[in-house]
Amino acid sequence: MNLFDYVADRWDRLSLQAWLHVSEVVQSTIIAAVLGVLIGVAVYRSPIGSALATALASTILTVPSFALLGLLIPVVGLGATPTVIALVLYALLPITRNTIVGLGGVDPAIRDAARGIGMSRVGVLARVELRLAWPAILAGMRVATQMLMGIAVIAAYAKGPGLGGEVFSGLVRAGSANATNQALAGTLGVVILALLLEAVYFLIARFTVSRGIRG
Amino acid sequence: MSSTTKPQGFSTESGSRRADRIRLLAQPAAVVVLVGAVLVWAFTRNNDAIEAESINAGVLLTKTGEHLLITAVVAAIVTGIAVPLGVLLTRSWARPVAPLFIAIANIGQAAPALGVLVLFFLWTEWEGLWCAALPIAFYSLLPVLRNTITGIESVDPALVDAGRGIGMSSSGVLFRIELPLAVPLVLAGLRTALVLAVGTATLAFFVNGGGLGELVDTGYKLNRVPVLVVGAVLAVGLALIVDWIGAVLEEYLGPKGLA
Repeated sequence: MNLFDYVADRWDRLSLQAWLHVSEVVQSTIIAAVLGVLIGVAVYRSPIGSALATALASTILTVPSFALLGLLIPVVGLGATPTVIALVLYALLPITRNTIVGLGGVDPAIRDAARGIGMSRVGVLARVELRLAWPAILAGMRVATQMLMGIAVIAAYAKGPGLGGEVFSGLVRAGSANATNQALAGTLGVVILALLLEAVYFLIARFTVSRGIRG
Repeated sequence: MSSTTKPQGFSTESGSRRADRIRLLAQPAAVVVLVGAVLVWAFTRNNDAIEAESINAGVLLTKTGEHLLITAVVAAIVTGIAVPLGVLLTRSWARPVAPLFIAIANIGQAAPALGVLVLFFLWTEWEGLWCAALPIAFYSLLPVLRNTITGIESVDPALVDAGRGIGMSSSGVLFRIELPLAVPLVLAGLRTALVLAVGTATLAFFVNGGGLGELVDTGYKLNRVPVLVVGAVLAVGLALIVDWIGAVLEEYLGPKGLA
């Protein structure tokens, strides 16, 4: 059986797992984006706070994902919980880093002008600074999503949902019929989904980045 | 935008010099405390026979050694292939094919590390060190390749012209102007590749390549949490130390005039 026959034959299961894979990655990215932007907003005015937040987040990213999953299993058990916790933690660095850099890069003159026309601190943040920082934040989310697609495969070790399950059963069944097809379907599926998400990010950027700063 | 979009793909760069300073000081201290505490706990508690089989100095040293060996082999392969390839692709006659190589490397990194590892194992039917090291090296190649190309291409053309003007040969320009100026970016790429390698090496045991991931797996399969924790914490400590060594190299090997 070649790969195409295999995929056609198992389409129901594969498409469900592909959907679960994308769904867990997108949900984790959104949770991480909310947390990352909140952290970024909280620390970007303080150089030491920014340095601490980025240092901590980049240290987390250095931790091997398999080791982190291993440590989470005895604490939170198997399944979706350790998967989502790990994915959110890994997505924090690119998003927090880019939020801080994006907010820090806003021209102080623009900030002053906004204050000058009577906008409140919150108004300046929500209507001026965050909008100007949005392309950077979105770029951070894109990088995070790409990374999470690969890490979610490893998360199948902790019985997380998604295409990683195909790769693992391909490995376990090595030598038997369709083992390679199974691992290949899982791996290629992740690559294709990652490229599709990349296109989605391009569209989001096209429609949400303020017209004045769209390059 | 240019500064915020720079770290494409996997990168542990914090984007802040002060954050890098904090990590340079705090990271080794944190590793010593964390690994020390876990080892003391693991060796002083009452281990049953199954736990004692994994938690003893011999096994822990062997697994750490295997892990380091994979990382070192990957680092050697990546440096040996990506830096020369990056240099070749920036020569004027190779410019047209450079995007092709970058695209291949980009897709290589979009592929999940574990999938690449498993497929390489299924296709070659190899096992052990090389079956783990080669796909991990392929996977870690991109940061170094991209940074080498970017580093050389971002050298001010006026400097290259000046070099040619005082009579340097093109290889003279390459070795005495372009490469030294590209060193900081190449080193940053190597550090990223090292972090990727030491992290992905935890997966090497899936193809019988050993490493600290094996302890995590043993602890999980036999339901012995201490074994799992010791393996995972050692892997974390090793990754943080390797990253720290990369940071120190970046700090001290970079040309002084560029700081």
